[in-house]
Amino acid sequence: MAAPGLAQKRRLMIMLCTFALIVAALIARLAYIQFVQGSELQKKAFVQQNSGRIISPIRGTIYDRNGKKLAISVQAGTISCNPNEVANNKKLTVDEVADALADMLSLERDDVYRLITKKANSAIIKRKIDKETETRIRTWMSENSVKGINIDEDAKRYYPNGNLMSHLLGFTGDDNQGLMGGVEEVMDKYLKGTPGKILSEVDARGGAVPSDSEKRIDAQDGLNVVLTIDETIQYLVSKSLDKAVEDNKVKGGAIGIVMDPNTGDILSMVSKPDYDLNTPFAFPANIQVEGLDPSEWVERSNESVNILSRTVWRNRAITDTYEPGSTFKSITTAAGIEEGVVTPDTITDDLPIKVTGWPKPINCWRVGRPHGTETFREAVYNSCNPAFVKVAQSLGIERFYSYVKAFGFMERTGIELKGEAKPQFQPKLKEIDMAVASFGQRFTITPLQLATAYTALVNGGRLMKPRLIKELTDSEGNVVEKFEPQVVRTVISEQTSKTVRDILEGVVGDSKGTGNNAFVRGYRVGGKTGTSETTKEDVYIASFCGFAPANDPQIVVLIVLMDPRGDSHMGGVIAAPIVGKIAEDVLSYMQVERQYTQEDLKAMTEEVYVPDVRKKTVAEAVKALKAAGLKYSIEGEGNNESTVVEQTPKPDSIVPEDSVVLLYTYKPESEQTVEMPDLSGKTLSEAINTLNRAGLNIKISGHGVVYKQQYVAGQDVRKGSVVLVEFRNLDNVE
Amino acid sequence: MKNKKPFDFLLFITVLILLSLGLIMVFSASAPTAEKYYGNIYHYINRQLVFAGLGMAAMLLAANYDYHKIGKKTVWILLLVSIVLLILVLIPGIGSESKGSWRWIIIAGFRFQPSELAKMALILFYSYSLSKRKKPLDSFFGDLLPYLFVLGIIVALLLLETHLSATIIMISIAMIILFAAGAKIRHFAALVLPVTALVIAVITFTDYMTPRLRSWIDPWSDPRGDGYQTIQSLYAIGSGGLFGRGLGQSMQKFLYVPEPQNDYIFPILAEELGFVGVVAVLLLFMIFIWRGIKIAVHAPDTYGCLIASGVTALIAVQSLFNVAVVTNSVPPTGVSLPFFSAGGTALILFMAEAGILLNVSRYSRYERI
Ligand SMILES: [Zn+2]
Repeated sequence: MAAPGLAQKRRLMIMLCTFALIVAALIARLAYIQFVQGSELQKKAFVQQNSGRIISPIRGTIYDRNGKKLAISVQAGTISCNPNEVANNKKLTVDEVADALADMLSLERDDVYRLITKKANSAIIKRKIDKETETRIRTWMSENSVKGINIDEDAKRYYPNGNLMSHLLGFTGDDNQGLMGGVEEVMDKYLKGTPGKILSEVDARGGAVPSDSEKRIDAQDGLNVVLTIDETIQYLVSKSLDKAVEDNKVKGGAIGIVMDPNTGDILSMVSKPDYDLNTPFAFPANIQVEGLDPSEWVERSNESVNILSRTVWRNRAITDTYEPGSTFKSITTAAGIEEGVVTPDTITDDLPIKVTGWPKPINCWRVGRPHGTETFREAVYNSCNPAFVKVAQSLGIERFYSYVKAFGFMERTGIELKGEAKPQFQPKLKEIDMAVASFGQRFTITPLQLATAYTALVNGGRLMKPRLIKELTDSEGNVVEKFEPQVVRTVISEQTSKTVRDILEGVVGDSKGTGNNAFVRGYRVGGKTGTSETTKEDVYIASFCGFAPANDPQIVVLIVLMDPRGDSHMGGVIAAPIVGKIAEDVLSYMQVERQYTQEDLKAMTEEVYVPDVRKKTVAEAVKALKAAGLKYSIEGEGNNESTVVEQTPKPDSIVPEDSVVLLYTYKPESEQTVEMPDLSGKTLSEAINTLNRAGLNIKISGHGVVYKQQYVAGQDVRKGSVVLVEFRNLDNVE
Repeated sequence: MKNKKPFDFLLFITVLILLSLGLIMVFSASAPTAEKYYGNIYHYINRQLVFAGLGMAAMLLAANYDYHKIGKKTVWILLLVSIVLLILVLIPGIGSESKGSWRWIIIAGFRFQPSELAKMALILFYSYSLSKRKKPLDSFFGDLLPYLFVLGIIVALLLLETHLSATIIMISIAMIILFAAGAKIRHFAALVLPVTALVIAVITFTDYMTPRLRSWIDPWSDPRGDGYQTIQSLYAIGSGGLFGRGLGQSMQKFLYVPEPQNDYIFPILAEELGFVGVVAVLLLFMIFIWRGIKIAVHAPDTYGCLIASGVTALIAVQSLFNVAVVTNSVPPTGVSLPFFSAGGTALILFMAEAGILLNVSRYSRYERI
């Protein structure tokens, strides 16, 4: 046994040196990590350590144009427990946990005890606890390291109007992001806000680290979105559509759009059938699908979601394309007048016309007894197809389609919603395509496209981009961003627009016009009817696109009824009256003054007896009043079957024609009174408007301006009363 | 042989400082994990203090037990017991599984790691056997192969455990002892080729190393999976800076770094004590190595020289390997840091091995400090 030799010692020294080198290399490596990469690693580590506690922001509210809430977020926590874990608490006994929770949640102590000792994996203790209580519980939990109690943030979206805005808004998913291509989805990035953070340093499992370095970055709540929609108008349109669907047995859905032609603002956009945004996955009771059984409905199953997507979830106003039919003749008219190939007084006819590439001649819809020779204006009133074919032929394919394009029919409108369908035209446009397109056939567009084109038609020629989003506001209501109306392009001249309005007013106003059913005394409704065929036999689409007042249009109204199965499928018969009703309701809501023509006034000064409609049903009463030339207004929650209990004015009163009779479906406890307005100096037309707004009727004597009124201004007058007003001609008197 | 001197004081102090630092770090690093899983921040440190006490006893005992008395019978028994335990650990019911590896035998509530004992057995067996040789290690087949055969058995068993780090350490210390014992350089060269080929084959034909290599080259390619430990380790080290966050101030120990009191204790130390701290610890290990080799060089006989070389090699390889892993300097594998990482078997055996080294120093002929 010898001591290590020289060679061995040398080997040992090599070992020493090798290890020393490795140590040096590792020190260099550590220096590199700590000094070169240090700041970046530290940053990443910080982010990781502080990512544990997020404060969720509150989703923005969606308002209508008048500040009514359409979608709101209700922030609430749900507190639940895991009984097994509660029992394993180190610091607190189950009794102590029950005491503390009962105290903080204002619950019965025994109830809480029962829940936290329940033989189950989880039990909900209380829902919708407020923020303050939640914070108290969280503090208590971290102070006592309480296990087995969970608080879940529950930011529930609530839609106060249920069905009213279903397609416009869409709903939000489980993680609160917007769905369905509606405003919730499209504006999601503004609505959702930015999560905040509690910058306490936390461990990988999210428990708080004992440290005083807690900093807080508050969540930034989502912005509010203000729509151009008017909730009241939306409601009026929705109600009218519901009634239309029922009355006309509409099977394929119905669409109603109201736009402001001057700004392109969508005031209302309704598609039927609709669904309740608060229960979007529920069984759609409002539709009939063969083999659809409520008892077999499984919410959120593929099958049920499929059915919903096909039916109630569909925003038909932008996703369904259809042939616009005769409603499109206004466009042909505008193009012809703008290009000077036709004037309202041009003599034309509706005799069958041959078109190259088509075996059969094109006839007027009244094929049996054609209208014969007529002015172009009359051809529009009568909706004679051959007359429009002639206009299109005079324009030629290129010019005709340049107008189709300019009116926006060949591209999507670009509305702030997802899912807008693309219009469909024949791939290569031939003579025959143009000929039938002149009266709205062989191409399909969305209802929104037609309504948008009508804005240009009636507003002086400017095609407006449909605007749905008006502005974004913050939680204090300050406007953060404004979306201005956008003119896409000028399509026709001011003069052409005026001429077209004039003709289309005649379509409605002329007693022989095809749109006469849309007539509203004093509101000068113009428009065009449409009855389109579809690819399916015997399936029609009845529509009417109107506007009012014709001299200064404030609204464009489009109603489309798909597959009506009632007495008629003609647009002039079933769609026109709805547009008339909506125009009247909306304009009077918007406080647009009625303009009575001499003819109107003459009709209105004719006096009639008020019939006795008490004890009749509402439906019978309405019929009787209409027959007498009177209008009506129902007071109370009545339907057609309710009995009229009381009426104002009383039976046998003598009132001017068109006066409004109030029908009470309940016994009024006290008479409703209104304040008598001041009429002095007003014209007949102004006086009628003022009194009607106040809920009063007028009895006229004399002519000129108001000279005397029966009740002094400010006096309480029974609502519906007939007020005697004396008129005198005060100027031009010698 | 009879001229016994006091043991190497510098080495003794170095071991004590390393152990004390280790205990402080185990306490600091393990507190959050202990709180989370045992509801008691002292859970790990209490156990570690017991092991440290046993380790101190083992070290003092070994330091005063003449290493020459560790004879043929002892080294053979140690070797055979180690091999038997390495076989037993593979048997389900006796061995206990942890993360897909069979590394532990539970004896009286304590987890015992046979691979730690095998390291010591190999050092003593090699040292004894090589020192008793009459002729040098001239022939590869005649002289070297029996040693490689013993190593092969142990390595095969460790590979069956899928205990890669222990395998590497075992091979390293075996090679170092053979090198110190005068094995021919060309024989090592001859070994390099097949080993390299084997490693390349493993990398190419099996998936065992693929994720490790990937996460070594770019830990951020799978930050939640294979790269997780490495990233957390680098976050901890990178957060340390020059002086660190201060003792007890690590953020990464809050359950980010997995088992921060074990294999990844060094990053926590780096985070809390900074560059200054890690350099100090590395220098302490360097002092250990320096003293160990000095003891080997001045050992009175080959047996002492080889024991000293073996023990030094073990501490050196394992500590530097650990630091290399946590700094992502080599592909990741689980290797504990001597004197630091929590764990009974390893600490007691390391202390005992340090004790043997101290014992050798008592017979070494050099000036004491
Ligand atoms: Zn005709």
